[in-house]
Amino acid sequence: MLERSKECIAMLLAGGQGSRLKVLTSDIAKPAVSFGGKYKIIDFTLSNCINSGIDTVGILTQYEPLVLNSYIGNGQPWGLNRNYGGVKILPPYSRSQKSEWYKGTANAIYQNIHYIDMYNPEYVLVLSGDHIYKMDYSKMLEYHKEKQADCTIAVIDVPMEETYRFGIINANEDGSIYEFEEKPKHAKSTKASMGIYIFKWSVLREYLIQDEEDPNSSNDFGKNILPNLLNDGKKLFAYSFSGYWKDVGTLESLWEANMDLINPNVDFDLKDTDFKIYARNYAKPPSFISKNSSIKNSIISEGCNIQGTIENSIIFTGCTIEENVHIKNSVIMPNSVIKSGSDVNYSIVGENCVINENCTVGKDQLFSIQISVVGTNKVLPENTTILPKEIF
Amino acid sequence: MKMIGVIFSNIFDHALGDLTKHRTLASLPFGSRYRLIDFVLSNMSNSSIDHIGVITKYNYQSLMDHLGSCEEWDLNRKNGRVVIIPPFSNGPSEIYQGKLQALSGALTFLKRAKGHYVLLSSSNIICNIDYDEVFKSHVKSGEKVTIVCHKQTPKNSDERKDLVLSYKDNKVTDIMINHAYTDENLIGMGMYIVEKDFLIDVIDDCVSHGLYDLEKDFLQKYFLQKGLGINIYEFKNSVLTIEDVPSYFRCNELLLDENIRKDIFNPQNPIYTKVRDEIPTYYSSNCTVDNCLVADGCRILGTVENSILFRDITIEEGAYVKDSIIMQGSVIKKGANVQSCIIDKDTVITENRTLVGNESCPVIVQKGQTV
Repeated sequence: MLERSKECIAMLLAGGQGSRLKVLTSDIAKPAVSFGGKYKIIDFTLSNCINSGIDTVGILTQYEPLVLNSYIGNGQPWGLNRNYGGVKILPPYSRSQKSEWYKGTANAIYQNIHYIDMYNPEYVLVLSGDHIYKMDYSKMLEYHKEKQADCTIAVIDVPMEETYRFGIINANEDGSIYEFEEKPKHAKSTKASMGIYIFKWSVLREYLIQDEEDPNSSNDFGKNILPNLLNDGKKLFAYSFSGYWKDVGTLESLWEANMDLINPNVDFDLKDTDFKIYARNYAKPPSFISKNSSIKNSIISEGCNIQGTIENSIIFTGCTIEENVHIKNSVIMPNSVIKSGSDVNYSIVGENCVINENCTVGKDQLFSIQISVVGTNKVLPENTTILPKEIF
Repeated sequence: MKMIGVIFSNIFDHALGDLTKHRTLASLPFGSRYRLIDFVLSNMSNSSIDHIGVITKYNYQSLMDHLGSCEEWDLNRKNGRVVIIPPFSNGPSEIYQGKLQALSGALTFLKRAKGHYVLLSSSNIICNIDYDEVFKSHVKSGEKVTIVCHKQTPKNSDERKDLVLSYKDNKVTDIMINHAYTDENLIGMGMYIVEKDFLIDVIDDCVSHGLYDLEKDFLQKYFLQKGLGINIYEFKNSVLTIEDVPSYFRCNELLLDENIRKDIFNPQNPIYTKVRDEIPTYYSSNCTVDNCLVADGCRILGTVENSILFRDITIEEGAYVKDSIIMQGSVIKKGANVQSCIIDKDTVITENRTLVGNESCPVIVQKGQTV
């Protein structure tokens, strides 16, 4: 008999490859991709959890977990190093009956039923680690309780012309869901699922087991679990969220979301001391800004040595930007070195890159924006040119 | 590990005036994101010293707040930790008169901590030193005491140092206290390795005779009168010594020198500090930043030259900051002109205000004030 229980615990799906981020995720999982000067994508979800009073988070990893695992560590940077609860990395494991990878999002949770049962929670919050947003999940949980729902799905309004990219949720006026539309050509509503679900654990548990027994199922929340719940007449509700929310699943959207941080017209305040975004800290010295440098409308994190010209860009922790370097409209990820005479424009430069002397990466663009990308750990030889949309 | 660390947090407090009014010297902010104790504590942590006592006298609240559980220095271990040692006195009026008396209050800690050697250090010396090397030199020498020292050229003939050693063939020939020096001498860095049991005997002996000064009553007297064997370890990398307000001011500016930064912020032995989870610094379209050290969490809209900016600082449009140290949480409003100033934490310099000091006598604005 369990002596203690948690009201709500979170399960964070962090096993995806994020293949559309291409060279940036060639050897790290998408949630471990750097963002916003000093963060990683997963920092937002983890910080949201602790800021919402959720102190028990299971992180489901599968694809290239090394960087992610060592980044999470014991969870101390997020205040998730607890004796009872805290953060736990949950990779696939072998069992006495059979051993298998996580086949789908639902199967990943299914394989960790024991972990969840350990806390005997009333509710389980299922999250994905690939969005940039600040959200107080406790408000969503209140809503879930108030509606006595079996499942609550967070939704956000998207422009009608973009509905084809999302899973659209059609709900009645009281919030109860009557239909899902996966990437519809002509959507009935503009409410897109944010991939954030709260379940009554007893209900989810039953459906996970049932879904596992169905050999034809693709073991996916969106494709199987949620439609099954709806077909069986369970109570599903939509919880409307308003505020900044950005999927960073593609190189373009990752670049855009970074640029949003220096765009005065985008309302996304990371400075709010009551809802801080936490990140692991690497004991870097302060940044040195030299006499020859020029910096305009940019964000620069600690540990940098800046000698060149930087405009509308995000420079992450520990970068070296040498003299006569021009960086414009670009994202330079941690510990990269840009050597003298190089130009970087409309580009993403991955972690630990070296761009040698007199390279040209990307170029000025007026109409459609095409990003150039230099992958994680790459070394660009002298005098190399990387064209717009080219990936090195 | 064989060494126990002891850090004195209140040495030279009096010489820093208003800057140490509400804090120990050890918790004095330095170099954009650090406090002085970070350097000695990180050096100890990086040299696998894990039993560390921090001796305090007064005003140690900010120090305790800064250290917390010491997880940032990787010192919250099962076997090993940092202990704050407040004064242990028999009456209301007694506070330490010298390092030896302070150590006598730390005897319980010393006796209980595991290790045969004690590394004593002040917190006013900024360097990146590997105490393992010092320890090896100490053991190899077979002497009772090792003094860590370095060479310096005096700026003028009447410049004095607390501990000056003359030496020949790597042997100390004389110890002078508060004495003028030349580049032939070695200057003590306030860091010593002493055998623990010997140190405990010395403390008993000296304190019972009313002698409290570690350098004068122990090192000098024992050397001259009792033939104490002293090993010298000459440290050859950059050393910044903070003794008073002008040297504090100068040492901060010295961090703008690339070679000194390379020495002190050696990536192999990082300097740790308390994590504050500030956002990265924003530089506006109209800002000018020349030759500065900048921490996270700032918003820079004005002009800043040759300055040290701590965390969470706002420099508004049209503000001009030159040759200054601006500590955490301060705001320099529109049109303000700040030159050669030390602006303490959480200060507001109001619009169009002008504050100009000079290098030997910088203007100090105290914590939390609005000018």
